[in-house]
Amino acid sequence: MRGQKMSLERKKMMAGYVYIAPWAIGFALFMLYPLVYSLWLSFHEVAGVGNFELTSVGWGNFNKAFVLDTKFIPLFISVIQDAVINTPLILVFSLFISILLNHNIRGRAFFRAAFFLPVLIGSGLAMQQLLYAGVGKDTLVNGIGVPDEVFLYMGPTFSQIVFDMLSRLTVIFWKTGVQILLFLAGLQGISVSLYESARCDGATEWEMFWKITLPLMTPIILLNLVYTCVDSFTDINNRMMVYIKDTAFTNIEMGYASSMGWIYFLFIFLLLVLVFVSTRRLIIYTGEK
Amino acid sequence: MLSNPIGKTKPQKAAAHAQAPAQAQARAAGSKVKALRNHTVLSRIGSKSRWIGLIYRIFVYVILIDLAFVFLYPFIYMMTTSLKQPVDLMNFTIKWIPTSLAWENFYYGMKGLQFLTHFNNSALIAVLSVVGQVLSCSFIAYGFARIKFPGREVLFVLCMFTMIIPPQTIIVPLFMQYKTMGWLDSVLPLIVPSFFGNGLRGALFIFIFRQLFRGLPWELEDAARVDGCGSFRVYWKIIMPLTPPAIVVTTLLSLVWHWNDFFEPSIYLTSEEKFTLPMMLPRLYQSLDTLTGSTFEVFSLPVVMAATFFALFPMLLVYLFLQRYFIQGVERSGLVE
Repeated sequence: MRGQKMSLERKKMMAGYVYIAPWAIGFALFMLYPLVYSLWLSFHEVAGVGNFELTSVGWGNFNKAFVLDTKFIPLFISVIQDAVINTPLILVFSLFISILLNHNIRGRAFFRAAFFLPVLIGSGLAMQQLLYAGVGKDTLVNGIGVPDEVFLYMGPTFSQIVFDMLSRLTVIFWKTGVQILLFLAGLQGISVSLYESARCDGATEWEMFWKITLPLMTPIILLNLVYTCVDSFTDINNRMMVYIKDTAFTNIEMGYASSMGWIYFLFIFLLLVLVFVSTRRLIIYTGEK
Repeated sequence: MLSNPIGKTKPQKAAAHAQAPAQAQARAAGSKVKALRNHTVLSRIGSKSRWIGLIYRIFVYVILIDLAFVFLYPFIYMMTTSLKQPVDLMNFTIKWIPTSLAWENFYYGMKGLQFLTHFNNSALIAVLSVVGQVLSCSFIAYGFARIKFPGREVLFVLCMFTMIIPPQTIIVPLFMQYKTMGWLDSVLPLIVPSFFGNGLRGALFIFIFRQLFRGLPWELEDAARVDGCGSFRVYWKIIMPLTPPAIVVTTLLSLVWHWNDFFEPSIYLTSEEKFTLPMMLPRLYQSLDTLTGSTFEVFSLPVVMAATFFALFPMLLVYLFLQRYFIQGVERSGLVE
């Protein structure tokens, strides 16, 4: 059975494993092992960072997270709340901008460059410095040029609400760079002939958006949805992430931090599974028959 | 006159009415008039839609310019504020343009960051990580995209799965692991995973490369193989040169994310002389105080902004050069099928 052809096939197969090898090694070392070990840790208490003495506490850490720790649940809910509010806004807004940018307009290169710029600041410390300085607060108000008189007219309570909303929107806007680019790439991928034939049949721009653009964009919307979710959950300014880090390295409760990390991870995992299952029928792939 | 109604205008329509004495004629003329009227209505709509088109275009520009301002705001703010003197900062009549340019803010900002030392640290980590990610992720993606072997799909799903693991879930064991390996307080934990396709968002880059590789024609590869090319040479000499879009996209995103990353460096690096540039931002005052030997309340916002500018400046420069290729790259990288 060891013919020439078999060994050639096998050789090719082996080559496949050679290509995957770096990832497999890296995955085992920097992902799988730590993941399993952190699950192990989450059922233990770590005494001292020096010698890592582990004492089993059973479900104690999880119990602590859900029952004893008064901070964890509210924090968790607020993080989810943020994600639930921000994600649709980011998606709609980035789709809107990318459609505007897809027009044949002057200075398109400039606009595309401009909308990606906040990604360069990232969500890191530079952004934090700018937010401390109050940049987020009045940007949108200045941006759309809302005159002060309007706020004066609205009265203090209501204008405060509007103001808060606008400043929140600003920070959300700055998170849309990558999404705008992905949507743009998707829009460029839609064949022009589809629009032309629709126009011949008398379709309006509005109809074309709902019947052509949106259905064909569903795979990218899903991609962006997943990206936005993951991005918001692993963001450095995410309070959950800060809390877990502080628990582990400031309070030195490494076992407890691990179990919180696992709760958090399982939640994201279930959420994404839910997203995939619920959107399966809504996604339209043109490439497949 | 009536024989050719197309292209006629209003006065001619009136003429058509006048020149219809008999009923049959009148009916015929009536239908023609209707046709005429329809035509004029159509042309009116035509000109109206031109107006609507123009208004729509203006609307698009207004929105885009407005939003571009919102997106550019942090940079404009950073630049103008960094040039202000404390007096200007307090002055409410001054919004953008300071009365006099305070260039010394940049001097203090740079000093406070200890720019050169920390720039070198940042650059070393970011550049090596980028090199590692481009090489390893493209190599791995080639295997996932172009070679069939048992378990490929499962492994790929597993690979994509790593994208959703929050770094904080595994940070504690990783910290312990690096401690036993003696890697703490060195750049190794920040660089080595990149060379194994596991750096910051490595799975995303594997995905990007794989998407592009899958779209390339097989004939190229077959021809090279007939000529006696091994699969490694096919990858390096044929596939890689065809993928600048993905390389540019990966390079820029990886560079920016590694440069701005604060979470991992702040855990693994403990001695200040090894800190990255962004890590120096919260220590700015402290650093300035020790440098000048006194407490400086004077160094307020403008100095912080100048320092923030310096922390971002290298990325701005790189983006300025790569921007065109980058945006084209995203469009062509087959990220979206």
